Amino acid sequence: MKRWNMYTPEGVQDILFDQCRMKRKLEAELRNLFTSHGYMELETPTIEFYDAFGGEIGLIRQESMYKFCDAKGRLLVLRPDMTIPIARVVATKVRNEHFPLKCCYIGNTFHFDELGGGKQNEFTQAGIEILGIHSPESDAEVITMAVKAVKACGLEEFQIDIGQVDFFKGIMERTGLSPDETEEVRELIDRKDFVAVEQVIGRHNVSDELKALILDLPGLFGSKDILAGISREHIGEKASAALDYLQRVLDILEDRDVGRYVSIDLGMVQSLNYYTGIVFRGYTRGVGFPILSGGRYDGLVSKFGKDCPATGFSMGVNMVMMALERQNRSNNERPGGILVTYEEGGRKFAYAYCEKAIGRGLVAEMDIGMGGIEECLNYARAKGLDRVMLFCADGTVREFERGRDI
Amino acid sequence: MRYLTLALAKGRLAELSIGLLEGAGLDCSELRENSRKLIFADKKNRVKFFLAKPADVPVYVEYGAADIGIVGKDTLLEEGRDLYEVLDLGFGKCRMCVAGPKELEGRMDSITITRVATKYPEIARTYFRHKRRESVEIIKLSGSVELAPLVGLSEVIVDLVETGRTLQENGLVVLDTIADISARMVVNRVSMKMENERIRELIGTIRRQIQ
Repeated sequence: MKRWNMYTPEGVQDILFDQCRMKRKLEAELRNLFTSHGYMELETPTIEFYDAFGGEIGLIRQESMYKFCDAKGRLLVLRPDMTIPIARVVATKVRNEHFPLKCCYIGNTFHFDELGGGKQNEFTQAGIEILGIHSPESDAEVITMAVKAVKACGLEEFQIDIGQVDFFKGIMERTGLSPDETEEVRELIDRKDFVAVEQVIGRHNVSDELKALILDLPGLFGSKDILAGISREHIGEKASAALDYLQRVLDILEDRDVGRYVSIDLGMVQSLNYYTGIVFRGYTRGVGFPILSGGRYDGLVSKFGKDCPATGFSMGVNMVMMALERQNRSNNERPGGILVTYEEGGRKFAYAYCEKAIGRGLVAEMDIGMGGIEECLNYARAKGLDRVMLFCADGTVREFERGRDI
Repeated sequence: MRYLTLALAKGRLAELSIGLLEGAGLDCSELRENSRKLIFADKKNRVKFFLAKPADVPVYVEYGAADIGIVGKDTLLEEGRDLYEVLDLGFGKCRMCVAGPKELEGRMDSITITRVATKYPEIARTYFRHKRRESVEIIKLSGSVELAPLVGLSEVIVDLVETGRTLQENGLVVLDTIADISARMVVNRVSMKMENERIRELIGTIRRQIQ
C-alpha cells in the first residue's frame, strides 16, 4: 500500500516562513483598511451544512465542494465561499444591529478548481459586504474599497472592470427567450465567443435591433465612453435604467478619485443566480486570473428567509501574493534580530538583556544550547540576524555584527 | 512596451496561422526557420511566439503564460478551459462526429450504446450525458480510433472527420455530428483587459483578412 504521509493532498500548500510573513502582513494591511473604514469583522465556521451552498439553494456546483458527514449522517462541506455564510448570518442571527450593516472577513475557503484561487483548492479570501441598502453610493463604496485594497497590497498597475448584469437581463427579457436559452447565451457572451453567440441568436426569432445589440455585447468593453455609444431606442426600460444606474456609480467613482482604475465590460455576465446588478472584477499583470471579484447580490439573503439587498467584494490573497512576486514587488526583507548567548556565569545578565531588547520592540532570542560561539555565529548567518551578543564569564560583553563578524 | 505572447498549436494549424499573422504585419521569419529554438520573437512589434502541443495551448492561455492562442475548436471543447474565444479563423475545418458500422445508420435512437472509443473523452462524455442522456463507458485511445468497432472494442467512436475517407475505407459511417470544428483564436481573460488596445487591433486586422 502506498503511504501518503509525506505528501499534502492536491491543491493545498504549505506556506513557509518568508511567504507566510508576507501573507500575514498583507492580511494585516487589509484588516486595518477595512476596519478603519467602518467595517466590522466577523468569523464564520470553516464547516457548514451542504444545504447552505448546494442542493435546492443551487449556488455552488456539487462537484466543486469538499464534502463529508457529521455524526448524524448529515452532509457537510468545507466552506467554498465567504459571502454565502455571511448572508446566512445576517438573515438568521443579526437582530439588534442597525442596517445598513458593513462587515468584513479574512478566511480560508475550499473549492475544487476555482479561478479565484489560481487553481489552488484552499485559498484565503479577504473582503467586505454591505447589507441592507440598495444605492449607487453603496456600489461605488464597495468598488472604492476594492481599489484601496489592491493599493494597500502594494500593487500599482491594475484595473477594475465593471459590468451590469441587469442590462443583459433587461435585453434578454425582451427577446422572449426561455431561461435555459438565456443561460446558454449568457455563457457564450461571458466567454466572448462571438462566433457561437451569432449561431445561437440566429436560431431564434429576435428582432434585428436586439440581435445586433446582443451580438455587440461580447465586445462592449473598454473605456467609459462605451455607455454613451449605446442607443437606448430598442433596449427597453429595465436595460435603460440599468445603464443609468451604472452611470451614477461611475460618476461617484470619479468624485472619489478612483475613476482612472475603472473600465467597463457590459459582456461580463457571470452567474445570474447570484448577482443582480453591478458586478466587477480586478485584474493586474503577471497573473492570468482575476485578483478580486464582487458585485450586488440582492437576492441572496432572501434565500435564507430575509429580504435584504447586499453588495460586496472578495480578494484572493494568494493571487495578490503571486502578482507581487511576478511584478517583483514582494518585500522579502527578513526581520533581522539579535541572538543572545553566554558563557558560564553570564546567563542571568544575558537573559535580562534579551528581555529588555524584546521589550523595546526588537526581535531577540536566547541561545538554547547551540554549543559555542562558532555555532551561534553560523546560526545567525543562516537566519540573517543582525547581531550576536556574547555575555562572558568575566562580566564583559562581546558584540558580533552582521557584515563585520557574522 | 510589454511583449505579447502567442501560443500556436504545433503542426498544420501553426503553418496556416503564420500566413495570417504575417498578413497582420507581424514578422514570423524566426518561426519559419526550422531551428530548435522554442521561443521566437518579433522584436519590432514586441511579440513573442511559441509552438506547443495542441492540448497545451489552452492551458498556457488560461494561466496567462501566453496572452493569445491559436488552436482547434476540438481541443477547446476537450480541454474546457476558461478563456475568451474571440475569432473563428476558418481554416482546419472538419467535424466532430459519432461514427459506427453501417448497420447502425439511422438506428442511433433505437439501440443502446454501452462503449465508446475516442481520443476525446470529455467531448464524448458531454455529448452522451447531455444530448443523449445515456451513461456510456468511454474508452480513451491514442490513435487509429476507427479500429475499435472493427475489433469489437466498442460499438461506436467519437472522432474528427475531415473527408470521411478513412471511415469509408473501414466500412464506418457518420451517425451524428457533435460540432463543427475549425481553428480559433483564444485570449486570456486578464490579457484581454490589460492589453485591450493591442489585442483588439490584432483581432481586427486578422478578421479583415479572413472575411
